[in-house]
Amino acid sequence: MSEILIENVTKRFGDFVAVDDISLKIQDQEFMVLLGPSGCGKTTLLRTIAGLGMADEGRICIGDRDVTYLPPRDRKISMVFQNYAIFPHMTVFDNIAFGLKMNKFEKPEIEKRVQEAAAMLHIESMLDRYPSAMSGGQRQRVAVARAIAMKSEVLLMDEPLSNLDALLRLEMRAELKRLLAEIDATTIYVTHDQIEALSMGDRIAVIKDGIVQQCDVPDVVYDKPSNLFVGSFIGNPPMNFMDGQVDYSNGSVSVYIGDFRILPENEMHPLLKSYHNKTILLGIRAENMETLKQPADDALEVEVLVVEPLGSQNLLTVKIGEHIIKVATHPTFYIEPGMQVWLRFPVNKIRWLDEKTGAALYP
Amino acid sequence: MSRKHDVQQPKAEVAPEVMAIHLKMKRRQKLGRGMIYLAAIVLSLWVLIPIIFITSMALTTPEMVRAYPKSILPFIPFSLDTLRFFLGSYGILDGIINSVIVAAITIVLSTLIAAPAGYALSRYIFRGRDVFRLSILAVRAFPIVVLSIPLAVAFLNLGIYDNVFSLGLMHTALVLPTAILVLSSVFASIPYELEEAAMVLGCSPVQAFRHVVVPLVLPGIAASAIFSFVLSWNEVFAASILTIQNRTLPAQVLATLSYSPDPYKFAGSFFMLIPAVIFIFIIRRYLFNMWGQVTK
Amino acid sequence: MTNQLKPPKRKKINWAPYLLIVPSFVYLLVFFAWPMVQSLILTVREDDVLLRVREDPTQTSPGIGSLERGVSVEILDQQANVISEDDLSEPGLITEVWYEVQVTDETGTMVAGWASEQRFRVRETDEDGKPIMATVRPIIGVDADPLTPIYSEPSTAGEIIAELNAQTPVDILSQRTLEIWFQISGEVDAKLITGWVQSRYIRTFPESTEGRIDRGDTGHLTFKYIRRMFNDRFFWPAFKTTLLLMVIIIPIQFILAIIMALVVQAKIKGSSIFLGIFSIALGVSDLAVGIVWYAIFTHYGYLNSILQGLGLISAPITYLSADTRHWIIIAIVLAEVWRATSLVMVIIVSGMQSISQDVLEAAEVFGATLWQRVTHVILPLLKPSLQVALILRTILALQVFAVVMAIGGGDVVTVLARETYRQYYDLRNFNMAAAFSSFILILSMIISVFYLRAVRTEQEASG
Repeated sequence: MSEILIENVTKRFGDFVAVDDISLKIQDQEFMVLLGPSGCGKTTLLRTIAGLGMADEGRICIGDRDVTYLPPRDRKISMVFQNYAIFPHMTVFDNIAFGLKMNKFEKPEIEKRVQEAAAMLHIESMLDRYPSAMSGGQRQRVAVARAIAMKSEVLLMDEPLSNLDALLRLEMRAELKRLLAEIDATTIYVTHDQIEALSMGDRIAVIKDGIVQQCDVPDVVYDKPSNLFVGSFIGNPPMNFMDGQVDYSNGSVSVYIGDFRILPENEMHPLLKSYHNKTILLGIRAENMETLKQPADDALEVEVLVVEPLGSQNLLTVKIGEHIIKVATHPTFYIEPGMQVWLRFPVNKIRWLDEKTGAALYP
Repeated sequence: MSRKHDVQQPKAEVAPEVMAIHLKMKRRQKLGRGMIYLAAIVLSLWVLIPIIFITSMALTTPEMVRAYPKSILPFIPFSLDTLRFFLGSYGILDGIINSVIVAAITIVLSTLIAAPAGYALSRYIFRGRDVFRLSILAVRAFPIVVLSIPLAVAFLNLGIYDNVFSLGLMHTALVLPTAILVLSSVFASIPYELEEAAMVLGCSPVQAFRHVVVPLVLPGIAASAIFSFVLSWNEVFAASILTIQNRTLPAQVLATLSYSPDPYKFAGSFFMLIPAVIFIFIIRRYLFNMWGQVTK
Repeated sequence: MTNQLKPPKRKKINWAPYLLIVPSFVYLLVFFAWPMVQSLILTVREDDVLLRVREDPTQTSPGIGSLERGVSVEILDQQANVISEDDLSEPGLITEVWYEVQVTDETGTMVAGWASEQRFRVRETDEDGKPIMATVRPIIGVDADPLTPIYSEPSTAGEIIAELNAQTPVDILSQRTLEIWFQISGEVDAKLITGWVQSRYIRTFPESTEGRIDRGDTGHLTFKYIRRMFNDRFFWPAFKTTLLLMVIIIPIQFILAIIMALVVQAKIKGSSIFLGIFSIALGVSDLAVGIVWYAIFTHYGYLNSILQGLGLISAPITYLSADTRHWIIIAIVLAEVWRATSLVMVIIVSGMQSISQDVLEAAEVFGATLWQRVTHVILPLLKPSLQVALILRTILALQVFAVVMAIGGGDVVTVLARETYRQYYDLRNFNMAAAFSSFILILSMIISVFYLRAVRTEQEASG
């Protein structure tokens, strides 16, 4: 049983608070992604879990052990470092075997485990090589092999794919996901790449300025971001946000973008009532809007500024009032800059956020 | 704004066993720190105390120098008599002047010769580059003893024996390998793209060098020059072999070792130590860059 | 420290780099390669041993044999030859001055020619004392030719221009100093050879036609100096002491340097100040250091002062005397350790700085204790730096000189470099000095090769 409990962990560097009172519970064998921009504290949090830096406040438990004050080697974890941290003076075999040697495994067992790990990463033929004679991608495999050879209950990964080129990254992402599904460790994976997070994680914890903004399964984080930040961080292109004016009259709520009227879902009415005569933020994803070439009553007229044919879709940049938003259309939807299109907003795809705080409104 | 999903009630009590481990770790950490501090202080004293001794001897009266037991406390009394006595002794003032001249020649000559070679090594790949580099590394530790004797004989035959210029030539040879390696790493640390950018903007290669590279390498060259100065200032074997009338300071002190009185010796040692120590302290950061690159 | 610049692989103008390195290359050649070769040559070559005997009394004449220095010869004849101005000051020259004279002959024409000054009696000199007028001396001797020939050049090999009677007045136009060449015969390898040599090489005896070869003009290879060196009464003590010092000092220094490096790397408060202090010794002169430790160990020095101050001794102990060799060695060891540890430390610290923090953290995560991290990660990665430091330090240790002089005086305790100095400076024997320095050179080379081989076989062994 290796669920990980992070309780009110705070870590400071001088006056700077890198991790601000974060609490997370990670299930046994769950793949948790810590996602956020550079400097948000995700790596610091990971290192605190690893023991490479003590938490200033709070508690960390692995399984039923309180490991808050234990040095890294007593925490029974494995880690893959961002720059791989392969021992340059040892062969691949010795690198992978290192943790096993330090933990006093028997030689035949070491041999077996190294071969297993190497086979899983497809580097069995390189066991005699030195890191200097290997490419970055191969070294990364050695780093992963070294970590999984330990068969630890907890596996930590610090942006393992970020130093690979784009094509390799794509390959390794799929391979890693499949590989990690085979082993039964609880994995915490740090990245700034939201595509990686969405594709690999069981759950994603979005972190900004040392605080967890949202922690949920990828679908929810994607469709129902908890605030402005999460919405714009996740998804490519980011979620669009526009101002709308709320009007509560005759017992029903309407939101106006200019003169265009949107009727929110019924569950939202109680919450939106209190925003009568105030501005509210609407969030909607580029691919969730319907685009029409002809006017319609329930469609808003917008001007197309830029058309980017991306192959799998056409990305339109359109102007609504003072807002510039992105709209994704089918690649065969023919349109040119300067022309008009009409947008329909499916209300079940709209996310409502408080204009001042950026927080999403939940029914 | 934070959303605390899936969280236990905050701040459970810390189990006593965990606290015990925590305290033991902290104690061990403090002990480790303490040991490191202790080692650092002991080693620092080991380095500093002999220097303090000799300084105190040099800056007191000759009588105190001869006195016994010597007091540990320095500068009792403080006096410039010993130094004055030393400076007034035969050949010392000239010796100091000669040392300065030789060191100056060494700096200038070694920089002029080493800089182009360093630049070539850092910027170009040419046939013989590795051989050249290797031969420089090889001669770096070359025994000066081996060089001095034949060069002394040669200088004798050529009639340029016993003058500061020939000693300067000798010291330049000593300093050159290190200077080349240091300067090549200094040049290498300046990306060639800067020169390219300058050339795109209209400079000739020489102008690019002058406006871009030179300002950036000046600190490194200065450090190398200081290092050369110190080496030349301290050098005693070749100086003793190659000079008779026009001695440098170390050569003079060495030649009189067997009969000079203690105040003379101590003042001499002080004079040899202090400029070098000060200079090295100033450029200590560069030394690590220098040796770091140089040992590759 | 990674070097982020890759030198541009450009097919630039080929000659630029070569031009730039030419001065250094030439300098290295002249000041390293040449002296190294010359030192070895001086060791095995004895000059001035043989004298070449020539067919004719000129420098360009072929040699017909060589006579050894010290051989007695018979002087058969002599002749004067022009020598250059520079050679004039050489000691041992037997010279003769020839005058260029001008005279009006019977037909009334002016003729000029050369003859030895012995043929003239100077009558007038100018303000500087140079002779300007002379008369021909009469020739004495029954069978002697009464006429004095004057030649076209200052040599009896020249053409005879005229012959002068005794008492003929002549004007002296110029003069030339000539060296006398002797025709000698001497024995070599039980054979008698006869030929011409310059007078400068012969020691003549008054009232006699005997002479002795004083010195030669060429040399030959000899092991004499090498033999003398090994038999020199200071050689073995110097060699042993040098090795002893090496073996004691170097391990101590390395351990101390590693400790210093670890302290500096531990990043405690003030580590940069400690770094500065530890590096001070990089700039110190070895002579100055020797004197400093002399000040500590001398009879009225600091060590005794402290011991007496603490009440541990009642009278000063003599450490630096002929009877207490071991104390002198200890003092030298302390001085050298104090002086040269910084060098090793600097190299080690630079090596440590290139070990990325990541690798150490990974080792810690995968279970290595501090000791294991040091032995499995830090020390192996430091190996290249340690090797460089070891070679450098060892070769420098072979040259230890000024410290020994300052503390021991160089006689009670002596080292190889001190002996080189003694041979050159005190005994003025350049060949012996070269022998000692060549010995140091060869030792250095052997040690370097040995270290490099040892490293390579280790690499091969570990696969």
